[in-house]
Amino acid sequence: MFTVFLVDDEPAVVKAMSRLLRARGYDVRAYTSPQDFLANHDDAVPGCAIFDVSMPGLDGLELQEAMTSAGGARPVIFMTGKGDIPTSVRAMRAGAIDFLTKPASDRDIFGALARAEQQDHAARQVRAEKAAIAAKIATLTPREHEVLALVVAGRLNKQIAADLGTVEKTIKVHRSRVMAKLGVRTVADLVRMVGKVSSSP
Amino acid sequence: MAVLGRCRTLSGQRASRSCGILCVLLVVQWLGPSLYANDGRYRVLMLHAFNFNFPATTRIADAARQRLMEISPREIEFDADFLDLARVADPEHERRTAEFLRQKHARTPPDVVMTLGSAALPFILKYRDVIAPNIPVVFTSISAHNYAAQRLPPDVTGIISEFNLDKTLQLAERLQPDARQLFIIAGSGPTDRLWYAKARSVVESRAPKFEATFLFGLPYEKLVAELSRVSPDAIVILLTVFADSQGKSFIPADVAKSLSALSPAPLYAPYETYLGQGSVGGFVETFESVGMAAADLMMEVLAGNDAETLPPRTNRAQAYRVDVRAMNRWNLPEGRLPAGTTVLFKRPSIWEQHYHLVLAAFFAFALQTLFAAALLVQWQRKLRAERLLKESEERITFAAASANIGLWQFDSRSNELWATEHCRALFGLDEKLPLTHETVLSMVHPEDRRLAIAALRDAPQGTGGVGSEVRIVLPDGQTRWIRVRAHPHSDDRGSIHLLSGVFIDITEQKMAEAEARLQREEVTHLVRVSTLGELSGAIAHEISQPLTAILANAQAALHLMRQETPDLTEVEQALEEVVHEDNRAGEVIQRLRKLLRRGERRSERIDMNELVRSTLALLNSELISRRITVKTDLKEGLPETLGDPVQLQQVLLNLLMNAMDAMGGTPVSQRFIVIATRVDRARGIEVVVQDRGVGIRLAERARLFEPFYTTKSHGLGLGLSICSTIVQAHGGKLSLSNNEEGGGTAASLSLPAQKILLAAE
Repeated sequence: MFTVFLVDDEPAVVKAMSRLLRARGYDVRAYTSPQDFLANHDDAVPGCAIFDVSMPGLDGLELQEAMTSAGGARPVIFMTGKGDIPTSVRAMRAGAIDFLTKPASDRDIFGALARAEQQDHAARQVRAEKAAIAAKIATLTPREHEVLALVVAGRLNKQIAADLGTVEKTIKVHRSRVMAKLGVRTVADLVRMVGKVSSSP
Repeated sequence: MAVLGRCRTLSGQRASRSCGILCVLLVVQWLGPSLYANDGRYRVLMLHAFNFNFPATTRIADAARQRLMEISPREIEFDADFLDLARVADPEHERRTAEFLRQKHARTPPDVVMTLGSAALPFILKYRDVIAPNIPVVFTSISAHNYAAQRLPPDVTGIISEFNLDKTLQLAERLQPDARQLFIIAGSGPTDRLWYAKARSVVESRAPKFEATFLFGLPYEKLVAELSRVSPDAIVILLTVFADSQGKSFIPADVAKSLSALSPAPLYAPYETYLGQGSVGGFVETFESVGMAAADLMMEVLAGNDAETLPPRTNRAQAYRVDVRAMNRWNLPEGRLPAGTTVLFKRPSIWEQHYHLVLAAFFAFALQTLFAAALLVQWQRKLRAERLLKESEERITFAAASANIGLWQFDSRSNELWATEHCRALFGLDEKLPLTHETVLSMVHPEDRRLAIAALRDAPQGTGGVGSEVRIVLPDGQTRWIRVRAHPHSDDRGSIHLLSGVFIDITEQKMAEAEARLQREEVTHLVRVSTLGELSGAIAHEISQPLTAILANAQAALHLMRQETPDLTEVEQALEEVVHEDNRAGEVIQRLRKLLRRGERRSERIDMNELVRSTLALLNSELISRRITVKTDLKEGLPETLGDPVQLQQVLLNLLMNAMDAMGGTPVSQRFIVIATRVDRARGIEVVVQDRGVGIRLAERARLFEPFYTTKSHGLGLGLSICSTIVQAHGGKLSLSNNEEGGGTAASLSLPAQKILLAAE
């Protein structure tokens, strides 16, 4: 089930859009106030957001920022009554799926929604993988953590031993434990795995 | 004529009164001596050598008597005796006369004896001791020559007469410069003979000049015969003829009259008595002057002066005297007379004889002349006034015509209309058509006819000028605007029948006004369009919202219908919303179309709150995009106003846009616009738009409503200028001020309520 979070200050638009999306089988959560949306947003629900750009209080772009800063990572489709270029550029840079000018055709809307769904799905997979890796890394001891970092950095065992002020043999033991805990066989796999999570803050 | 008659009566009375006084005087004068006879009186005896009918001595005696009466401090008793010596030349007669006089004056001897005529002096000298011993004698009529010939006692004095032949001849020479023949006439009497030697010596002094003939001592008939033969260009001088050679005695003045009448040549004489008898005149002394001089001398004697201390005197009052009638008779030019010549008989007789008549006639004539002159002056003044009036009228007519003004006057009693020719031109009337009240009214545009009639009917009630503007339809179908101004004139009784006024052609003015109005509307419209242009994004958004809803609903319906078991209730709802949203979009478009439309100003009832809401709806998107919050404070039950909703919305739109523009630099959290409606103190409607913007700087304040003045980087600077014009056209007022608290501007729009407007109409 893919949920569309719809925010527009215009009730008639919200109502009509909801009706359209539901007719195509989307789950719709509609809000006529950005604040209302922020207060009730559940990031865990898979789906995307359709924001009206021009709204009193918070405009669409500000709403996206507010959502992201609150930890939300949901694809956003913007809709606007006046499609001015500066606003659309700003929106696309902020990672918008699309910037639709009202009145938008259902094809555009559903196309954008399809892409959003795909992206949301992919993003959710990446996030799940990262979470798994992070969970595995979390099981490492502090010493194993240090060793992992130096291995990923490409240091040899002898060098790591020197760095940590121990012997090569001890390092080999730590290394094998790390590999085992993370479920990887080769150093290359190890580096790739760590690389996936290190990009995230 | 009444005046004239009275004048004549007056002068007649005056004349009769002065006649009466004169008579009384004469009576008193003549009766005086006998009535008041007493010892204090002077007695004067006048001793005439001739008889009473001798003019020369009579004149002397009269003058002397008059003079003495004037100057004497006492009464004077005059007595006169006529010796008649020339006529009766007999020693016995002399003696008898002397005896007579002695007896006559024995009781009351005279104080002085005056002799008149040269023969009287020897007589009194001879018989003085007989008549009145040692009586002082004052003689007259004694020539210098005669005086020198007689040896007079020292107590005998008198006036020596100068009968000046020399100067008389000079007068003749002057008057007849070409005369060569000279005739001198003298008689044969003792006095006549005295002239012979003198005459000869005078003529001899001019010896070569004249061929002189002395007609002396001739028988009178001979003299007459001689004289009648003289050439007309000769000079005749008559001396005295007391007697002719045959012993016939004459009165010289009578002789002068006869000889003058028959003499072909001018006759001159050194005697005054001949003047008026036909002689030209001469250098003479007047016998009056002799008499007066003798009287003065007698008065001195009577006053007690010793006659011996008073030597004889020469009479100084001598002059050229001429008779103008005689001069005319002999064609002697007056211009040659010596200076100082006394010209006698110069036709004063009419004046003298008809004094009163002449005076009255003259007076009447003068009065008539005066009247005529006054009338003439009056007439000329009238002419001048008429001319000035005509000029003035021409000037006014010209000025009026130049200014495209026709002058008229209307008499309601006679229903007559007077109008200048220019009126005809204004109404495009043919010269043949009469310019009447009916003609003029019939030309007024049917829609304005009632107004025109009412204006004329009501004009008399007005105190000043009344003006109304009407259209007239010219014969060629053209329409012309005429302003009619009328001024009522009240007559003596205060009722008004006369109206005067002007027709002013204001077609051009009206056209210019219409054009200006059109231009103003054009500009107003342009500004409105440009305002909407600024709002185009927001307006697009405003329309796109219902369109979005419509499209979404329609597509939803389609999707629903494609399903195997369509939810028809949902489809119906979707379609209902399509209709509803379409209406909404239609309203927006309607609103826009109204604002974009150009057209004449209309007047409708307006709910100001509704207008505010509708304007805010139009601005909704723009307000949102500018992050501005509008707070409304709309008074319920606001009275309606009359006006053009589009123009008033333009004003609101403009005020709100200004407020929005002013808050570009205001923090988002403070971007408020408060728009309030209320009933103002004058029971009109007030709309206040307050912002939290930059406010108005002092320097800008005066220029806010000036066209093309703007503080914005965009905009024409026409907004407020046009708003102000619109509001004024609605009878309202637009003002701007800075808020007292919180900064920003407050714009106040006041409009009269409909009731007030209706009441005003």
